[in-house]
Amino acid sequence: MNDSEVIKLCKELGCCDACCLRYVGLKTPIAYENAKQFLVKYVKEKLEPVNNDEHSKGQDETKPDHVDQSKEQGKEESANNVEQSKEQDLTEPASDVNHSTDQETEPLKHEVDSEALRNEVDNRTHKKEADESTCDTSGAKEMSGEPPAKKQKLDSICVSCLGVLQEENWQQCNTMVKELLHKKQYESETFACALSAPIATMLREHYVMLCLKEKFTHYDTKQLTPLKEAWKWSFGAQLAAHVGMAQDSGAVSPLLVTLNLEYPDDLQELEVLKTLSASLFESRSKQRQRFAVEFTRRSVEQALRDVTLAGLRRQAAWARGAPVPRTHTAPVSVQAAHAPLYLGGRYVKLSRMLPQTPWLVNGLRMMHSSVQETIFEPIARLYGMSPEEMEHRLKFMSAGREDVDVRCLGEGRPFAVEVSDPQRQPTADELRRLCDEISEGEQVIVKNLVKVSREDLALLKKGEETKSKTYEALCIKLSHTEDDELTANGDTAVRVTERDIANINSYRNSDSDSSRVLLTQRTPIRVLHRRPLLTRTRRIHDLTAYRVPGHPQLFVVRLRTEAGTYVKEWAHGEAGRTRPRLQDALRARADILALDVASVDLPWPNTQPIHST
Amino acid sequence: MEFKILDSIPDLTNLKSFTERYFSKRYITNVNGVKNNDIMIMFHSNRIALLSLAPSHFFFNKKNDFKVNYSLGNINRLSNSVKGKSKKGGQHLVPKSVICKIEYEDGTSFAVPCCMKGSLVEVNEELVKNPKLLREYPDEDGYIAIILSSIAISEATKNEMLTHEEYLKVLNSFELND
Repeated sequence: MNDSEVIKLCKELGCCDACCLRYVGLKTPIAYENAKQFLVKYVKEKLEPVNNDEHSKGQDETKPDHVDQSKEQGKEESANNVEQSKEQDLTEPASDVNHSTDQETEPLKHEVDSEALRNEVDNRTHKKEADESTCDTSGAKEMSGEPPAKKQKLDSICVSCLGVLQEENWQQCNTMVKELLHKKQYESETFACALSAPIATMLREHYVMLCLKEKFTHYDTKQLTPLKEAWKWSFGAQLAAHVGMAQDSGAVSPLLVTLNLEYPDDLQELEVLKTLSASLFESRSKQRQRFAVEFTRRSVEQALRDVTLAGLRRQAAWARGAPVPRTHTAPVSVQAAHAPLYLGGRYVKLSRMLPQTPWLVNGLRMMHSSVQETIFEPIARLYGMSPEEMEHRLKFMSAGREDVDVRCLGEGRPFAVEVSDPQRQPTADELRRLCDEISEGEQVIVKNLVKVSREDLALLKKGEETKSKTYEALCIKLSHTEDDELTANGDTAVRVTERDIANINSYRNSDSDSSRVLLTQRTPIRVLHRRPLLTRTRRIHDLTAYRVPGHPQLFVVRLRTEAGTYVKEWAHGEAGRTRPRLQDALRARADILALDVASVDLPWPNTQPIHST
Repeated sequence: MEFKILDSIPDLTNLKSFTERYFSKRYITNVNGVKNNDIMIMFHSNRIALLSLAPSHFFFNKKNDFKVNYSLGNINRLSNSVKGKSKKGGQHLVPKSVICKIEYEDGTSFAVPCCMKGSLVEVNEELVKNPKLLREYPDEDGYIAIILSSIAISEATKNEMLTHEEYLKVLNSFELND
């Protein structure tokens, strides 16, 4: 076996030039940029030291080409892995899409006898071979003598890639990509492209490899260059020139263009697998819940393990080789998406009527706005998003939350906004203006917005579970302590005394250095309908109290607590469901009137020191 | 601009207790035809219900020492446990189900019915150790049980029961009839 024999067989089977290079295992990107020319040259070079001994030449022949490309290849491959895993999840589109295929080819499928066609292909290949050994670099097609125009068009559809790698089919893809990129106006200088190819190409690839294996027992099916790699090197390279951006791997470029190519006979061709791998599809159809779609890349890959050349040839459609494609694949949709942008900052909430996120009860909103919406609106305006678009393109994240009637003061609470598919990065000026617009209503104040990374977001979320928070609670003493001195004149009003303040300030039920009070809290009734009933232990690290001038019954407690402590429940005790509670420190009944978060002890985002003013 | 908790001092003339802030109180009088066997259920806006005795319950007129017993023949309310968000495993309750018995020193006792359909989430174990909470703070620390039911049942029960205003009217009419 040598490469030219492999190429010859591929040609006989009806493969295009690029697919021939794929089956040879060539992984040199530049080779695919002009597959036709490269193939002619390649075959010629191979044939020069004429050697008919099948086994004297290993596949190593192609190695010199590989070496200097290996670096780039590695990069491409890692990107490819990412994309492949992504694509595994794609359920394949249904067949009812209206294909804008070339109408000319339609009537032909009935006229053409596939036998005749095969002969035609064979003739061409022989002729080409003859030509190649005598002539030089000009393309194979021109050399092969001109078949009738109509037939050439039909012949030219590759039986393996179904036209995916054939440049005569790229025009429509180029136009669609260009239109989309023009509409979205990305600032990015690079792009990566991803392909969703018809699944029938997998079956056809399998067939070609079985044929190669039949003829050349040493043919290694692992050497096949994946279709999407060859497509990136060929289609992608010319697309780069067409749209005026550089192509990069999906791991590097933030902009990903995905092309969905469909082949009208895709599902119909895959039907044979139900005969050849009957048990697989029977068991899948029994688990319809789990496998909603019959033919997916995964299911076809599994099914192909059972498919042999003999089995395939017993099927009517495959008796005379791979079915002749009646039309090539065509793009049905293009998507472009830019990697998300993350903005981080801290918000101060000054309202006791503002929930953090829209508060809905039975589908009706309880408050007219929210912290989230106040922050979203200017960002949506900057990116020209409609309200509906805003809902699915912006995502709010924060280090915990406070109740609707709790203010968040001090340096505020860390939060981030994910902007999906941003056309461009905001400038420093724009970020400043966003802060001004958010803060305009004086309900939510954001002093600083910065771009943050995905890693920063993990810290934000982790902070939610680990950070401590400082609160200030305005409280009221409701009953006398046992040692309250009642004045002689019969004035029995409840007053907060210096002794009360001292009692709170010295209160502790834990000997630990880091915490003074250990609480046992049951899940508060107010969230019990949606959370499990649990008893949790939480800590109060610090606790101080002071009196309120002019209000003898009131006092303020300032406390620093472990993340997840329900402070309101500690203050009013929730009918004894939190123990001990404020009344145990005060030694009289107490209740809470208002609560503020004084600080969230998480320095985030990093670029913003927490104690700056 | 400096913001302080002290700028949030509310109107102190109209303060509401914890249960008054978050719950709607509903009443049912003369349960099972027993005079002043009056029950109060406090409904949180999230449909969770707290069961207790209404202020007009005959219990509040009797000064004898008593115990709260959640162990009723073959059902022990204290061994109730619920699992997960959906509170699986709570004891099933119908309006006639007895939640606990109040047992006096003199051997007399009465049963507290739950007056609604639902499942038991929690009983107030503190009442076993410290029964006088029921007498002193029936609408707070003296609550008897927490009951969860569907939104529909919770709403229906709430609508069938007397609101605070209706309850006061009914009490007045009783006094007139007496």
